[in-house]
Amino acid sequence: MRKYFLIFAVAIALVSVGCAKKKVVTEPAVKQPEQAKTQTQPAPAPKAPASEEGVKTQPENTSQVAKATPPSTEETEIKNARFQDVHFDFDRYDVKENDKPGLKNVADWLGKHPDAKLMIEGNCDERGTAEYNLALGEKRANSVKEYLVALGIPADRLETISYGKEKPICTEHNESCWYKNRRAHMIAVKKG
Amino acid sequence: MRTLILISAAFLMLTGLLLPAPAGAKIYIDISSPERKLPIAISPLNGPMGAEIAKVVSSDLDYTGLFVLLGEKGFSERPYEPFNRDNWLATSVICVMKGNVSLNGEGRLDARVSLYDVQSGKELYRKRYQAPEALIRPIGHAIADDVYRELTGTKSAFRARLAFVTQKHGIRDINLADWDGQRARPIGLMDRLVMTPRWSRDGNSLLYSSERRGRWSVYLLDLKTLREKLIYTGRGTNLAGDIDAQGDIVFSSSAGGNQDIYLYRASDGKVERLTRTSGIDVSPSFSPDGKKIVFISDRSGSPQIYLMDLNGYNTVRLSFKGSYNTCPSWSPQGDRLVFAGRYQGRNQIFTMKPDGSDTVMLTDTGSNEDPAFSPDGRFIVFTSYRDGYSAVYVMRANGEGQKRISPPGVRAFGGRWSPN
Repeated sequence: MRKYFLIFAVAIALVSVGCAKKKVVTEPAVKQPEQAKTQTQPAPAPKAPASEEGVKTQPENTSQVAKATPPSTEETEIKNARFQDVHFDFDRYDVKENDKPGLKNVADWLGKHPDAKLMIEGNCDERGTAEYNLALGEKRANSVKEYLVALGIPADRLETISYGKEKPICTEHNESCWYKNRRAHMIAVKKG
Repeated sequence: MRTLILISAAFLMLTGLLLPAPAGAKIYIDISSPERKLPIAISPLNGPMGAEIAKVVSSDLDYTGLFVLLGEKGFSERPYEPFNRDNWLATSVICVMKGNVSLNGEGRLDARVSLYDVQSGKELYRKRYQAPEALIRPIGHAIADDVYRELTGTKSAFRARLAFVTQKHGIRDINLADWDGQRARPIGLMDRLVMTPRWSRDGNSLLYSSERRGRWSVYLLDLKTLREKLIYTGRGTNLAGDIDAQGDIVFSSSAGGNQDIYLYRASDGKVERLTRTSGIDVSPSFSPDGKKIVFISDRSGSPQIYLMDLNGYNTVRLSFKGSYNTCPSWSPQGDRLVFAGRYQGRNQIFTMKPDGSDTVMLTDTGSNEDPAFSPDGRFIVFTSYRDGYSAVYVMRANGEGQKRISPPGVRAFGGRWSPN
């Protein structure tokens, strides 16, 4: 019996780490030079006190735009522009009535600043699952975009991106925090 | 400048000595319906690091839930003593693994392992394993795989690799590890945001989504050459997806103004849009037979699981229980889907048949999501928030044996085992 032993050798590649470094082949150029910087920062705190963030749009807040310094050039104005976040209900992406006056102000501001375009970032709270939240955040950003388009802003001045639940501005596990994270955040950048 | 750590292939040489198998070799335990756990003894190998190797073997076999491992105190035979059935007949053990290991001057381990049947006293298999000392754990996994195959007649998941994402100081990377999460090392992507690593069917590439310069794009990384190929980009949110045996890729994109499912054909690089709803369509993956795509859609008003043909037709809804079902993933045999369903305000891991019937809930601690089966279908890897931060967890496909396998204290998620 034993003379029928089969002998064979199998080589199995096991991935292991060497210490050499190697460059990755980069993708074909996709130019969006100025936006990268604005994306990286977590949303700057709005000018309103932090405690008011959880409160819905402030009615007395007539302008959505805060100017840190007296107007100098349009470029500075674009850089310093701050817009109130648009908030959403859980697993919803429709713009609510109380956020519409604020978006009207955003549209007015864009009308006065033709060199500016808007990056709209959609965000979600932690309760949804990660991948679905990226799609949901995109829908939220898109809802804001569509509303601004309806107000007369050309679509090519409005870009959207979703961060899903990947970039929360609040990390506690309660509704006040979830509310803050269910938002579309808008950042003005210079065109071109 | 983006750099990747070079991944070199090291070789573990296995020389097998297969004893002549009678027609229809004996299956010691039927894994499809184990009547009771099979008692076995895994003896420390005789020689340097013999105990460590045996520990890896024991840990793998024990985690299957199919075996009872005799504790070393019950051993009536020393590691250096040759196998003698008389020493084991008084125990409950059915099979015994024994072996010798040596370490040569160049730091190479040379292990010779045998598996014996106690009742007959016969040697069931004998094999030689040679590899650098650093690969001690892979040697253990290779031995465990052989022992498992001998006893069950099927391949194990012990030699699979695990890909998962970690985040440290706002920087993310995909890590590659052994199947049990050990020996994890980053591949060097160093992205701020990277998501959803998915293995190609041959285990040589990883598909993933990454946000760079304000855009989400779908990339395919060849793990041998480290060439990263841009599969799809555009304004908005473009997310992997899955890759089939031909290299065709399904992904979701907001390119059409709305999140929809698209198919990228490897043959000509063309992209075809498969869904056209006004709502969200996301998280597509190919069925194991390559004939269907499962995905998530909120066309009914809440996210639910749907199935469609490769051309986007014949769409049927699969999930009806609950108002939030996401993250569907196939079993390798195509007989189950695993997914995350919302239950009492949290996401939990469920499985069901691909027709939507026979739903079973597997987790109930914390919030859990992003599940996927092991290549042998016996385990599920998932992301859990039960420790207060996201971590990669594993369990048996019936929900038993839940444990974290990503490093403690490190934010980790998106675990996926390689298909081989």
